[in-house]
Amino acid sequence: MSASETSAPVTPVVAETGERVLRHKLVDRLYHWLMAASVLILIGTAFLPIVGWKFEWLSLHWMTGIVLTLLVLIHIVRALIWQDWRAMIPDGADIRDGVRNIRAAVGGGGPAPGKPGKYKILQKLYHLAVAILVLAIIASGLLMLLKIDTPFWKRNPYWFDADTWGVVYSVHGFASMAMITLVMIHIYFALRPDEWWLTRSMFRGTISRKEYGEHCDASRWRVEDRA
Amino acid sequence: MELFRYAASIYGDSRVVIGASWDLLPWFVAAGAAFIIVHAVVKAIAGRRGHAS
Repeated sequence: MSASETSAPVTPVVAETGERVLRHKLVDRLYHWLMAASVLILIGTAFLPIVGWKFEWLSLHWMTGIVLTLLVLIHIVRALIWQDWRAMIPDGADIRDGVRNIRAAVGGGGPAPGKPGKYKILQKLYHLAVAILVLAIIASGLLMLLKIDTPFWKRNPYWFDADTWGVVYSVHGFASMAMITLVMIHIYFALRPDEWWLTRSMFRGTISRKEYGEHCDASRWRVEDRA
Repeated sequence: MELFRYAASIYGDSRVVIGASWDLLPWFVAAGAAFIIVHAVVKAIAGRRGHAS
């Protein structure tokens, strides 16, 4: 059964710019790189003092956290209204091809895995993991703002009892440390030569026609022919 | 190694959780490094097998 025979939702038609295929619009690339900068600043201001590099980290940390919160809110609204959020949800074809990929990797037989649409199943699972962690970090981080004085509000540490604050801080800490693991994996894949076509597309916005044909199933990620 | 950081309660009669233990930080970094190494090795072996066949 080919991917085109499954009931998997087909992602929206995307624009082709001459010989190149638009993969990420400018607004999405800006979101990605601003989020990347925010996350790296947040990780640095959170963990460098813990490993011994002492500096005044709190102001930069919470202000960057507010920036990340706004970015994620914009992304959620954009994904729900202007983008096809289903393109990021693993479907039956993804799972089938994932199983076939694993079988092929361990030397088993069976049919060859099909090509993915715009995103591979591992990209979708990675996005899901990052979404869960970032939302947990943002929710707990916003609550933690209640414990610090800022130009906009005075601290109120009595909002929760000590045990509840412990839960909030634990969620923030565990999710933040897990983000380090995911950021390491993300940078590793971005630097792998066989993934450079994806990394380039996050700078340029486009992939070549050849890359589109090599890596993507046209029935699962259709390109509008504007030429 | 503990999973959480603790402090004495305001009454001093018990310990309360105040957050995740930072002793776990190297383990999260190690998990990322382990994934990267295992993936790179598996891809290298698979690539060599592909060239050989």
